[in-house]
Amino acid sequence: MTENNAAIAAIDDARALLDTLLTSGWQQLHVASGDTEIFLARKDGGINPMRVVAQRPAPAIAAPAAQVGPETAVPAPHVATLEHALAVGTHVTAGQTVATVRVLDEREDVAAPVSGMIVRVDAEPGALLEYGVTLLSIAVAA
Amino acid sequence: MPIKRLFVANRGEIALRIVRAAQALNIETVVAVSDADRDSAAARLADRSIVLGPAAAAKSYLDPRLIVHAAKESGCDGLHPGYGFLSERAILPRLCAQHGIAFVGPEPDVIDALGDKLRARAMAGAAGVPLVPGSECVASSADARREGDRIGYPVLLKASAGGGGRGMVIANNGDEAEAGFHKASAEAVAAFGDGTLFMERFVPEARHVEVQLMGDGNGQVLHFGERDCSVQRRYQKLIEEAPCAAMPDHLRRQLHESAVALAASVKYRNAGTAEFLFDVQRQEFYFIEVNARIQVEHPVSEAITGFDLVQEQIRIAGGAGLSVSQQDVEINGHAIECRINAEDAARDFMPSPGRITRWEPPQGPGIRLDSHMSAGAMIPPFYDSMVGKLIVHGSDRADAIARLADAIDNFVVEGVPTTLPLHRAIIAHPDFVENRIHTRWLEQVLLPDYGKKAA
Repeated sequence: MTENNAAIAAIDDARALLDTLLTSGWQQLHVASGDTEIFLARKDGGINPMRVVAQRPAPAIAAPAAQVGPETAVPAPHVATLEHALAVGTHVTAGQTVATVRVLDEREDVAAPVSGMIVRVDAEPGALLEYGVTLLSIAVAA
Repeated sequence: MPIKRLFVANRGEIALRIVRAAQALNIETVVAVSDADRDSAAARLADRSIVLGPAAAAKSYLDPRLIVHAAKESGCDGLHPGYGFLSERAILPRLCAQHGIAFVGPEPDVIDALGDKLRARAMAGAAGVPLVPGSECVASSADARREGDRIGYPVLLKASAGGGGRGMVIANNGDEAEAGFHKASAEAVAAFGDGTLFMERFVPEARHVEVQLMGDGNGQVLHFGERDCSVQRRYQKLIEEAPCAAMPDHLRRQLHESAVALAASVKYRNAGTAEFLFDVQRQEFYFIEVNARIQVEHPVSEAITGFDLVQEQIRIAGGAGLSVSQQDVEINGHAIECRINAEDAARDFMPSPGRITRWEPPQGPGIRLDSHMSAGAMIPPFYDSMVGKLIVHGSDRADAIARLADAIDNFVVEGVPTTLPLHRAIIAHPDFVENRIHTRWLEQVLLPDYGKKAA
């Protein structure tokens, strides 16, 4: 395929996604594939997740409110079994291993995307996690 | 041990087809999906679906470790790979075997052997299967003439280090073979630094025929007749028929015997297809390759034999052996399948992902549709663009063509362009109706005109 064809195909893809959004009741559409991400939103739609880290309301079983800011969910990178996660209340820095998952006999570390405190472990050790499921949640230090 | 819970490691219409076959056998199903296919028809129908990874196939459908992990952890004791993706990669059955999962397909070593063109050719030759007549290395223009005379013209001079058409010359007689030797050899030196050539008979108007096989893994192999898949574009099949109406019975018997002998020689297990080139002028067929999986076009063989090949696959993988013998396989009537792609034939077959807004398939006797689509369904841009397969079965070829024409005329699809209008044009063409087609017919005869009309 020539570069021109590839560009036309990419425009077709974007058009198809836009069509999907407009014919749906959704407010926003966020698609990530390989190195490409696209975010579409209606006028009254959501905040562009490529600019702003997703924010979630503070959990019910949170540490004292004064110490926590917005929460960041740490998702499973792919289907995997949860081996181990750091405990609630652990302070972590971005890039630090917060959980270990397993695929067949191989173990893989999951790194914290932000610095903060683990406020919740969302998955049970030994559970089969599907791609994108929240492993644990980190509250950015206030 | 019969399979109790089957993992479906594929997407689209074949994932749905496998789920339905398993359900007919009272087997539970778990379907693997990518993030883009969470809401697919197969995922909705299956007992469970598991999201492997993001939309990109390399991080979902093409990762054998993720697939086998999900299968094992969801308690599956069988795995069906479908076609495409990992279906012919030996790593998948090897991982399955390591983790106690029955793979619905051949042994990994057989997949490896058949996947290597030279080894497959040697195996076919050893089993007495006809190969394209050709030469060893040719060293001079005089050699080229002598070999050309022996093989029969036209011949193809090919660089042994070659590929991509470079160092390749067609010769129609001895003089052209001598001149072609110098040209091809010079090209091969320039392109590959190696002027070594070999020769092969060139079949200008070949048909693609293939035999549907099913083996029990102990040396017993059945065939379910042959298919003719000569309507192709860039080696992609668009229309498949069964049987091959252009082949006389005595040749058909030889074709079936050759295919069965090859598969039996490797104790082939499960479904496979032996592909051949059929030289209509010479009335000879030559081995191309074996596809070690269920194929897209298997429904035409099901239509003329009345057997459910996917159910048979699952039973064999569960250790049941073949459920029928060769004399139970009778060929009835004629079937034609067209692959419906969401592509714009007028724009060089550009894939056209998007949302289907209307989907009203034809219904009636002798009409089958294998599709995962419905009104409102989305065709994601990440995978192939096939939206379904329309299969008709008639009393003979003319009857099947008439039914297919009716079926296409009554098929309403809106929202994305499809190849249905192209299929309608193909089956209305006198060459197709009179069965004068070959593998380059679509590109050489129909498409040039079709492009003009569309533009």
